[in-house]
Amino acid sequence: MTFSARRIFAILQKDYKDLSRNLYVTTTLFMPLLMAALFGRMGMGTISSYYIVINMGFILVATYVQSALIAEEKEKNTLRGLMLSPASTMEIFCGKSLLSFIATAVVVTGSILLSNYNPRNMAVIAIALLLSAVFYVGLGTLIGLFTKSVMEASVVIVPVMLIFTSGSLLIPLIEKYPVLAVVEYMPNLQLLELADRVETGAGLGDTLLHLLVILAWVLVIHAVAAYVYKKRMVDE
Amino acid sequence: MENIIEVTSLQKAFGASRALKDVTFNVKRGEIFGFLGPSGSGKTTTIKILTAQLKPTAGSAYAFGVSTEQLKSEKYRQKVGIVTDNTALYGRLNVYDNLKLYCDLYGVPYQRIGEVLRMVNLAGEERKAVSKLSKGMLQRITLARAFLHEPELLFLDEPTSALDPVNTKHIHDGLLHLKEKGTTIFLTTHDMNEAEALCDRVAFLNNGEIRLLDSPKKLRQQRGEPTLTVELADGSMVIVPKGPEGADQMFRYMSTGQLVSVQSNHPTLGDIFVEVTGRKLA
Ligand SMILES: Nc1ncnc2c1ncn2[C@@H]1O[C@H](COP(=O)(O)OP(=O)(O)OP(=O)(O)O)[C@@H](O)[C@H]1O
Ligand SMILES: [Mg+2]
Repeated sequence: MTFSARRIFAILQKDYKDLSRNLYVTTTLFMPLLMAALFGRMGMGTISSYYIVINMGFILVATYVQSALIAEEKEKNTLRGLMLSPASTMEIFCGKSLLSFIATAVVVTGSILLSNYNPRNMAVIAIALLLSAVFYVGLGTLIGLFTKSVMEASVVIVPVMLIFTSGSLLIPLIEKYPVLAVVEYMPNLQLLELADRVETGAGLGDTLLHLLVILAWVLVIHAVAAYVYKKRMVDE
Repeated sequence: MENIIEVTSLQKAFGASRALKDVTFNVKRGEIFGFLGPSGSGKTTTIKILTAQLKPTAGSAYAFGVSTEQLKSEKYRQKVGIVTDNTALYGRLNVYDNLKLYCDLYGVPYQRIGEVLRMVNLAGEERKAVSKLSKGMLQRITLARAFLHEPELLFLDEPTSALDPVNTKHIHDGLLHLKEKGTTIFLTTHDMNEAEALCDRVAFLNNGEIRLLDSPKKLRQQRGEPTLTVELADGSMVIVPKGPEGADQMFRYMSTGQLVSVQSNHPTLGDIFVEVTGRKLA
């Protein structure tokens, strides 16, 4: 398996030029920022309100934009060209994920600033957000691989958004029905719990378990995405 | 001569329908091999198997001496160029940016972009947005993209179907030039004139089976009737045997000044195709 920076950056650059001419997708980038500014103005200073905005950034930018980028390559028959080139699966995956990852970093940082969120331990939060961003981009890749067009991806994103943003609303339910306890291992809830604990003074050691759970999600989602990619690209 | 592609008893089924029934052929290094057949005969399916986009149901396909199922490696991809209708261009980017991406993927210097555009008669169109190109221009840019890395083996799936005669001629010259430089070309087409103009050998595919395989010239000569068609001054056409039995007749036409033209009766590739398969090409 090769790893050529020239190929990866070529795909990134291509995606950047392509996306900057795609109004439909670029307007999506401003939604979370708008909400963050609104929340910041309203002075809603609870951890869960910050994370409603952050999660929205993850879903709309990392997952939705990524799924649209992948779905469009399939819809327009351009992914095949990448696949038939000497670029390895790894290079194509990295190249195709980089733009959404960078956009997510910008949007999430922006919305943290706009909503005046000041975590007590920035380092731990930064690691957690970074891992989460990688997870949500992987989720977007997977959705992009399963859908046939940008339109379809835009429909599929709605239930995904409900699942991954309504997280904190589920907590009372979990307390009532212990079976739902597995839901607590969802990456968004792990992130929220971690953020809560950071505010009570937790450091890296105390939050390691949460980080590991999110890391496990990162590995699983990318392994599944790579498997689906290889399967779908042959015998279609 | 060395075989660059070796296909033996290749079969491909999609559910109950059998797209390829039993296909066997070799492609020699340096030749232009024509894969001719009507719509739905299995031409694209064969290209997809040879480029590891489809798994064969049975039989074997080798390229460069390696089973095509194992040909997803960087080394093989670097040697192969593919033009099919499932390898599109990026519509929002201009011509230059589309080709530049492929220069990066294949490790080719950007100066090649100008060279390949000249090969497809589109020099100077670098800055045009791909979404604004005509169908024939798109097809030529897709061809140019496949020429970028000077592949050893080029798969072309109906490369001139959207082109006018002038540009078709230009592309044909380009392909012959590539052949001269050592590129092996696997070409599918409906166009019998294209096959005659370019191909060293052609295979006739019908319903997933190869019915004939030889050089266009041999195919026509083998099937040539031993007769001549003679055009006379009064406008009538007469069939005359080529052997001694026709000599008197010809002498008469010539000595009385009736003879206008003589043509040897070789069938065209299209005629042979209809004869062998009972089907017309699209
Ligand atoms: N993915 C697929 N699933 C099911 N059937 C398929 C698939 N791809 C091709 N076929 C069938 O296989 C047969 C051969 O198709 P193929 O595309 O190889 O024909 P072709 O010779 O390239 O035709 P054309 O000249 O129209 O391009 C057709 O009957 C087609 O319907
Ligand atoms: Mg075809």
